Amino acid sequence: MAKDLEISIRSIGDVSVVDIKGEVTAVSGQPIEEAYQRVTAAGAKKILMVFASDCYINSGGIAILIGILSATKKNAQTVRMTGLTAHFQKIFSMVGLTRYAQIHPSEETALAGF
Amino acid sequence: MTSEKKFELHLPSSLGAEKLAMDFAATVAKSMNFPADRIEDLKTAVAEACTNAIEHGNKLDASTKVGISLTVDKGRLQVAVQDQGSGGIGKRRTPDIDSQIEGETEPGGWGIHLIENLMDEVSFESTPEGTLVKMIIHLEK
Repeated sequence: MAKDLEISIRSIGDVSVVDIKGEVTAVSGQPIEEAYQRVTAAGAKKILMVFASDCYINSGGIAILIGILSATKKNAQTVRMTGLTAHFQKIFSMVGLTRYAQIHPSEETALAGF
Repeated sequence: MTSEKKFELHLPSSLGAEKLAMDFAATVAKSMNFPADRIEDLKTAVAEACTNAIEHGNKLDASTKVGISLTVDKGRLQVAVQDQGSGGIGKRRTPDIDSQIEGETEPGGWGIHLIENLMDEVSFESTPEGTLVKMIIHLEK
C-alpha cells in the first residue's frame, strides 16, 4: 500500500540532483537510500534533493533522510533541498534537519553558488 | 445541552492505513474552518499517532484495530487514538539530531516529538485496552 515513491537522478554541472516524488516513509524510503548510494559511487560531492510539492513525508521518512545526511557528513558531501512545502520546511526545522541541509525556495536558488 | 459532535473510525493495523485517519481528520478540521497550516499540523500529528499505534502498539498484528475518535466542541478538535497493545507507555527519549547525524544513536524517534510540537495539548494514557493518545487543537491558538 505504501510503496509509492518515484526517484530519478540527473546532473547539472557538478551537482547531482535527486528528484523525489511520492511517499517518503520508513516503508517506501529505500529507493532514496539507493539513489544516494548511486550518486556517491559516481563521486558526487554536491547533492540537491528536489521534493515534489505533493510529497508525503513522515517521521520514518525523516529518519531515512537523517541516515543519508549522516553518511554525507562522513563522506564530505554537501546537501541542499528544495520543493518542500511550508509545512515540511517547518517540520524539518523542528527536527533540526535544516542545520545539516540548506533548504531553498527553488531549484534555481539552490543551484546558485552551490 | 452540549453542541459536541463525535466521529469514529477504526483502522486495520497495517502501515499506510494511517492516511485514512489523516484525511478524515483533515476533512473534519476543514469543516470547522481551521486554517490550512493548522490542518497540515493536524494531519502530521494524526498520521504519526496512528503509525505509532499500528507499528509499536499493535505490532502490525492484523487481528487488531486502531480506534480513532474525533470530538468537535466549541472551537476545538480532540483526536483520540487508541491501540490494543499490551506494552503500555514506554520510556520516551527525546531524539537528538546531532547524535543521530554523528551515528551515536539510530536515526528515528521523531513521531512523538512532532505530535507534541504540532498540537496544542497532548496526553498519553495506559488503559486496559492499550495506549490512548489524546491530542487537542484549538481554532484560536
